[in-house]
Amino acid sequence: MKRRTFLAGLAAVPFAGTLASCGLSGNTASNSSAGGQVTGEITFQTWSLKPKYTDYVNGVIDAFQKQHQGTTVKWVDQPADGYLAKVMADASAGSLPDVINVPPDLSFPLAKAGQLVDLDQALEEAKPEYLENAWQAFEIPGKGGCYGFPWYLNTGPVFYNKALFRDAGLDPEKPPTTFKELEEQALKLAQSKKIAMLGQTPTIADFGLYGVKVFENDKFTFNEPEGVEFVESYKRMYDAGALIPEALTQNYTGSGTKFMAQQTALSPGSAYDLGKFKTDAPSLYANIGITKPITNTGSANMFLHGVSVPKSSKNQATALAFGRFVTNAENQVKFAKLASIFPSTSKGGDDPYFTTEDGSDEARVRVAAAKQLKTAVNYTPVQFSDQMREALLQQLADAMLGKKSAKQALDDAVNECNRLLK
Amino acid sequence: MTHKPYTPWLFLLPGLVVSLGFVIFPFLNMIVLSFTDASALGGGQFTGVDNFVRMAQDPKFWVAARNSLLYMVCVVPPLVLLPLLIAMLAQKIVPGIGIFRTAFFTPVIASAVVVGLIWTWLLDSRGLVNSVVEALGGARIPFLTDSTLLLVSSMIVTIWRGLGYYMVIYLSALANVPKDLLEAAMVDGAGPVRRFWSVTVPSLRPTMVLIAALSAVNGFRVFSEIYLLSGGSGGPGGASTTLVMLIQSVGRGLTGEVGYASALSLVLFVILLGLLLITLKLNRREDQL
Repeated sequence: MKRRTFLAGLAAVPFAGTLASCGLSGNTASNSSAGGQVTGEITFQTWSLKPKYTDYVNGVIDAFQKQHQGTTVKWVDQPADGYLAKVMADASAGSLPDVINVPPDLSFPLAKAGQLVDLDQALEEAKPEYLENAWQAFEIPGKGGCYGFPWYLNTGPVFYNKALFRDAGLDPEKPPTTFKELEEQALKLAQSKKIAMLGQTPTIADFGLYGVKVFENDKFTFNEPEGVEFVESYKRMYDAGALIPEALTQNYTGSGTKFMAQQTALSPGSAYDLGKFKTDAPSLYANIGITKPITNTGSANMFLHGVSVPKSSKNQATALAFGRFVTNAENQVKFAKLASIFPSTSKGGDDPYFTTEDGSDEARVRVAAAKQLKTAVNYTPVQFSDQMREALLQQLADAMLGKKSAKQALDDAVNECNRLLK
Repeated sequence: MTHKPYTPWLFLLPGLVVSLGFVIFPFLNMIVLSFTDASALGGGQFTGVDNFVRMAQDPKFWVAARNSLLYMVCVVPPLVLLPLLIAMLAQKIVPGIGIFRTAFFTPVIASAVVVGLIWTWLLDSRGLVNSVVEALGGARIPFLTDSTLLLVSSMIVTIWRGLGYYMVIYLSALANVPKDLLEAAMVDGAGPVRRFWSVTVPSLRPTMVLIAALSAVNGFRVFSEIYLLSGGSGGPGGASTTLVMLIQSVGRGLTGEVGYASALSLVLFVILLGLLLITLKLNRREDQL
């Protein structure tokens, strides 16, 4: 739930940027997508984009309707709260909107149930327009097929509190860059000043960043020796007080709040968070340090949203054309300039906005993140459901409290996740 | 004045439609689904009593059932007694009593989410309560990060929220306590405590049974307090999960196991029905004595 709030947070980013012309041209004026005529009425459902992006979305709809005379796009925006319930109710009733905004983990159960159009079959020619890693995020691993046009992406730096680092005798200009350094510095911080470095136990994406094979051959595999080693490192940090007590029950949002309250010294984040620190936590902002994501693989983590077309759509040709239009390079770059997000198209990232720094922190984070995204990986398998996330959190809590060994906790978590896969 | 035979049904129709559509049908559907492996996106296959066998072997179910039972046992006595004492104070006509009554009733009308957030801020490891404890030289108390203390904290919130509601019920019942009996007891030399135990409590017994039944059902079905205080996690390792939280956790989302969640709901329904029947029987026995 909280993870969804985070994703919705990306969607609801207030941003002071200006809408500049981007010089990229979309290449999606197909009049015969999926072998049908692009005409008639469709419904487009977005995730919490009103009222911040009302003008932007209406502009995209107008442009599409102008380009394809005889089409009408009805826009429905659902608030983040209850989005899942709405999709669930519509999917159960077989009445999903024609074009629907979903992240990969939401598209997966719908695709698995045979409710979404396979873009690899319906619009194969669209594939080169998007970043390969973004397109792959909407595939069902091992089974092929792509079930959503990649839309906006995000990745982020790691933020740290320079003042807390300095107080504990750590060099504020040398934040941890590997998980080994993270443990060393976290222990020093906890032992010298009783300050916690982290606000949450590792997520499934953190296992991926550590280099653990999370999912292989249709099974979860994060209980391999590297995974155990990773959890044991966290256990040592927890015992030393380098994780706040709430870490055992907390998710990303809760952890971010603790970082804002300066109760933890380090937190992964996104460009959106930087703006939030500036307005909501000015004393933290004055001491904010920004560094690269901690990864053993060389690739950062990536979050993304997409738009899918349900098979139940009575106007699939128009829905597919619109889905492709919304996510084309031109529209994505315009959107990215309004919000602290990044385009998922192969051309979008070349815009000077994402490659040139102007000296501000925002631009520095933006350029670094855009560079990171070229090799970033969505480390969260699409199969990883809310129930699985909860199982992992609970087993890690037992490991931290010493109720189970790291190996036992991970074995139990993997068994539960594999049971839920069926 | 005469009317057509179907006229009463017309008056009943709106209520019947709502009950059938939103209570009876979902309830019957839940019973059917509890014998299937249905997911959120599919009707599922009939699996007989598999869900119930799984439940019997599921440690999470037993932890949740134990917590719900413990919750009920711990919150019922304070919720039967404390509102009565408050109602006895609140029924006095003294200056400023309105403020007192309003203060006790405010938590009832406050949003559960707001209440949960306020208590989370109070009981957090760096919250107000722990700041005071630390300032007084004590060690921080893990109200929200220890599974037992999390349950206790949640019970305190439930009791605090329930005081005002049950106080109002007691206030109306106290108005019906026969004044002549109280006066007769006073004439016979009974003090306030004796009058309370020998006159007030026997007169309020049906109300007390009603409140015990209501608070027991609400205690067993607790969700929002524990959900909010634990950030939706059910405490470290899920050790503070209650039955309703487990149902929500199992059945939510597109990946939810609706069949198993329905089976859990059916068991919860049977337990609550049993509780109500016991209360009813006790009440009848009291009436016969």
